[in-house]
Amino acid sequence: MLTTAMLFLGRLRAFVVRDFQLAISYRLEFFLRILTILFVVTTFFFISKIFAGGSTPFSQWRDPLAAWITGLAVLNYFMTGFSSLANAIRSEQMQGTLESVLLSPISVSNVVVASSAWDFVLVTFHSSLYLFFGWLFFDVQFRGNFALAFLFLILTTLVLASLGILSASFAMVFKRGDPFGVLLGTGAALFSGVFFPTELLGSGFSSISRLLPPTYGLDGIRRVLIEGQGFSQVQEPLYTLLIFLAVLLPLSLWVFGRAVRRAKREGSLIQY
Amino acid sequence: MISIDRISKSFPSPLARLKRFFGRSVKPAVVALRDVSFDVSDGEIFGLIGRNGAGKTTLTKIIATLVQPTSGQVRVNGFDSVIDDRKVRAQVGLATAEERSFYWRLTVEQNLMFFARLHGLRDARARRRIIELVEQFELKELVSRRFGELSTGNKQRMAFARAMLSNPPVLLLDEPTRSLDPLAATRMRALISSLATGSPPVTILLTSHNLAEVEELCGRIAIISRGQIRALGKPKDLRSEHHQTEEVCMLVGGITLDLARLALTQISDDLDIAQERATLTISFTRESGDDRLDAVIKKVHECGGSVLSVDVKRATLMDVLERYELDQSAEGES
Repeated sequence: MLTTAMLFLGRLRAFVVRDFQLAISYRLEFFLRILTILFVVTTFFFISKIFAGGSTPFSQWRDPLAAWITGLAVLNYFMTGFSSLANAIRSEQMQGTLESVLLSPISVSNVVVASSAWDFVLVTFHSSLYLFFGWLFFDVQFRGNFALAFLFLILTTLVLASLGILSASFAMVFKRGDPFGVLLGTGAALFSGVFFPTELLGSGFSSISRLLPPTYGLDGIRRVLIEGQGFSQVQEPLYTLLIFLAVLLPLSLWVFGRAVRRAKREGSLIQY
Repeated sequence: MISIDRISKSFPSPLARLKRFFGRSVKPAVVALRDVSFDVSDGEIFGLIGRNGAGKTTLTKIIATLVQPTSGQVRVNGFDSVIDDRKVRAQVGLATAEERSFYWRLTVEQNLMFFARLHGLRDARARRRIIELVEQFELKELVSRRFGELSTGNKQRMAFARAMLSNPPVLLLDEPTRSLDPLAATRMRALISSLATGSPPVTILLTSHNLAEVEELCGRIAIISRGQIRALGKPKDLRSEHHQTEEVCMLVGGITLDLARLALTQISDDLDIAQERATLTISFTRESGDDRLDAVIKKVHECGGSVLSVDVKRATLMDVLERYELDQSAEGES
């Protein structure tokens, strides 16, 4: 068991090192991304000035810049959790390297997880930059328990990664045209309260909002970081996310196993 | 040891069930392999030859666990390619001529290190192994170069080096010398031979279109055509089995045409004797076990002549392959 875990960690490191080496071979892109984040935060700072002095009944939105940059940072993270697994497969298929990777004594599921590990490292860095630039240049104050906020982040990412596994299964069989991406990509930004309070959606649309895991993740993180709420006050979104995870993780792993078997049978594992 | 037992593989039309459900026509499944069986012993170099689309790559991929067979079983050193696929992959190294299987923006060393780590090699051991391999494959000067900057031949050497990273007991080689210059190809063939006779011996399954290379390296070969094994055996046996005759052409000097005709017709009356200036050309077709060549040479000497050269044209694997393809076409037509 320990040996298996050590072997997996060694391979995970191999993928992270490989992707880091590939990333630094495109240095300009790396620095441009940082600059983009700074520009986005600055843009939202000036948009927030439009609302300066106004009152709002939505407690998380009293400092709109804090709400936006938290929303953007977290949305970034969630989207990576959701899309990186399928992208990892697709990218290896398109580069033509999937076959050589799959020839090593490592399971397909480990390849998928390990291939997306660098995305999580990178998105952690990028998401931190949103919060860091807000704090450093625009005096955005975050309070509350950072560990609890991190727990929400991890939990929501795991739920979205489960959907990501479903998406990867779809990519494995159908290659393109993933419906989960459309639903969650546009859906999360619109219905999960990234840019405005979900209460504004009205009763019809707010039920859609309640079906999306990012809504609970984002709500929990904002309650902790912006409103300074503790564990006892954020149990509802926390348990909802746990229920999502308990249902989606086993389901997605089962579907993924079937998709891999099908692709191997059809000989289409490396096709895109 | 590789044991292939009644392997068949057909590729169904993608999403056939879904298409049928919606009443759409479904293309028939493509049959890539039919009932293929053979064993490759430890330390044997086994050649698989056939035309494009014959089923060589599918079979190689099934052995490498990348594709599952529709029926039948492949075992590599006792491990089943479907049930114990990870154990099989730990036993097998695959070197293909596919250039896109590397990361072009990473260096030679970074690429090899990545794949060594995937094989579970710790960094120190991986570095030692990479040093050994880059020396063995003459890539030492190129370790810091990006893969994309390498020549086609060096890319092919990289593929071979990668296949050997974990010292696998079984190697699957797909056209191992295709992009190499003649000198490098000779060295590569020597290396392949030495691996099979080394300690521990490496079992090698080689697919190639270079039939001379297959004949030079392989103890046994299988001819595959339209997904079926058509012939299997030692190259020499396959040649003699399908082409039992050989063309003999001798150049003889110091003897007149008339004398040669008079003396040699005593041996055989179907010798073709022609004169060009002071040289005679004697040609005939002989079957295996035919001792006329010795008799002709002896008679030439007795008549005071000398044998300038003897050229024996035996059937090649190409002839054998062609013969099977012709048979297949005839079967298909009938």
